[in-house]
Amino acid sequence: MKFRDLFIYRGTSTSRSDAVLAVCAFVGFIGFWYAISEVELVPQRFLPLPWKVLTALYVMLAEQNFIEDIWISVARVWSAFMMSALMAIPIGIWMSSYRIVGALTEPIVDFIRYLPVPALVPLLIIWFGIGETSKLAVLWMGTFFQLVLLVADDAKRVPREFVETGFTLGGNSRQVTWHIVFRSMLPSIVDNLRITLGWCWTYIIIAEIVAANAGIGHAIWSARRFVKTPEVMAGILTVGVIGLLTDQAIRFAHRRYFRYL
Amino acid sequence: MAGDMPFLRVDGVSKTFAGDARHGDIHVIDNVSMDVAAGEFVVYLGPSGCGKTTLMRIVGGLETANAGTVYLAGEKVVGADRKKGMVFQAYTSFPWLTVIENIRFGTRYRDDIGDAEKEAITRHYLDLVGLADFANYYVNRISGGMRQRVAIARTLAAAPDILLMDEPFGALDAQTREFLQDQLLEINREERKTTVFVTHDVDEAVYLADRIFMFSARPATIIEEIRVADHITGERTLETKESEAFFHLRNHVRDLMRDQARRTEAIAQQEIMTAQAETT
Repeated sequence: MKFRDLFIYRGTSTSRSDAVLAVCAFVGFIGFWYAISEVELVPQRFLPLPWKVLTALYVMLAEQNFIEDIWISVARVWSAFMMSALMAIPIGIWMSSYRIVGALTEPIVDFIRYLPVPALVPLLIIWFGIGETSKLAVLWMGTFFQLVLLVADDAKRVPREFVETGFTLGGNSRQVTWHIVFRSMLPSIVDNLRITLGWCWTYIIIAEIVAANAGIGHAIWSARRFVKTPEVMAGILTVGVIGLLTDQAIRFAHRRYFRYL
Repeated sequence: MAGDMPFLRVDGVSKTFAGDARHGDIHVIDNVSMDVAAGEFVVYLGPSGCGKTTLMRIVGGLETANAGTVYLAGEKVVGADRKKGMVFQAYTSFPWLTVIENIRFGTRYRDDIGDAEKEAITRHYLDLVGLADFANYYVNRISGGMRQRVAIARTLAAAPDILLMDEPFGALDAQTREFLQDQLLEINREERKTTVFVTHDVDEAVYLADRIFMFSARPATIIEEIRVADHITGERTLETKESEAFFHLRNHVRDLMRDQARRTEAIAQQEIMTAQAETT
């Protein structure tokens, strides 16, 4: 493959060339950042040098118990996310299976999912206080209603012939639902879960900034009070790295488990 | 009653699909009756959209008739189940399963046999459709013709009373189609499964059928019943297609089909013009 092939309109590339380009982009991004900060195009108080951010991250981990903040945020994200997924998958399939369920719930779900989650934070704090419950509620509100519609759509996309095949092979509706519909849509469910998990990280930071005494969002917000820009950026960086790693892990599992695709 | 009841009886079946605000009701089947003997291979032939598939789906319990009744093996058909096996035109072999797992799926909901027998049946049908060498391939790694063979094997593994096939070879190229027709004849010689096969391909109908029900344009009525087995005797092979009997029968059926296809076209044009007139 030649370098200029990459410039062909809608051309193809190899996974090797993609990897090289990805590394180039990261190196370029950090280089650009370094250059701006080094010549103080932006004052270093606002944009510290990249290695200062890494040092701050190291100090936070080694001395300020930041690992516990990370652990708390991860636990919050995953428990809310699991709760959302475990509810959205069966309910979404149910919505697509019976017209009455779909017709009753779709308009309401559509309405709720357009409500801006950050605007709900004050309300949820009034209802659930500033403890763990309100954080779970924020994440759940932000993901469940989106996810349930995505699942319902995926379920509708399962070919009608698959369902009918199930019945003519002697399955009942419960068997057809789990053995055929659910199994058929599983790869797209996993894809949608992966995307939804990303949103969870947005909402958890918002929730932790508003009211929390631990978590990555809380750490970022505390650092802001003393204008510790490197620590703020280290916190943001941590979220990015966790997100990237989780995403890649799920993609890897997707490729492994859904080898037939 | 049970004594003189044929294996499959379609008794005065009519079907109308309810319309909506823009389209009126569509009358698709008009008072169709027929008797089919056990082990017989019948073909529903008719122009596209004439209602032959709908009739077959009613026989399979996937659709309900507005009037009339279907009896299979002496019992009234009320819904889809394992007794009415169905092979569709669209590929229905499950992509998350391999060839052999797909065929095994056909035995999954059987409670009449144990696991050892299920495995033996899976093997039997895998061999019967000639896919033993591809047993562990995922189905989207194999050809369309092979996928349809998987679907046929899976359906037979469920041990249905009747095999319903809705243009199963419609999406295949001419050569594959011919090969699969021969394979279906071979399977049929071995299994003697009562079969209803829907197609709009005249050659396919004449080549495969013991009996053809020629349907009119919508609403479907039987305009002629052609007893192919009376004209073409003996085993069907590729030479059959060269024989004079085949030639004459095919031409006769083709002429019937042309008339109905023309009528179908005229009905379609009429409907479009009516819809147009209503909107303006």
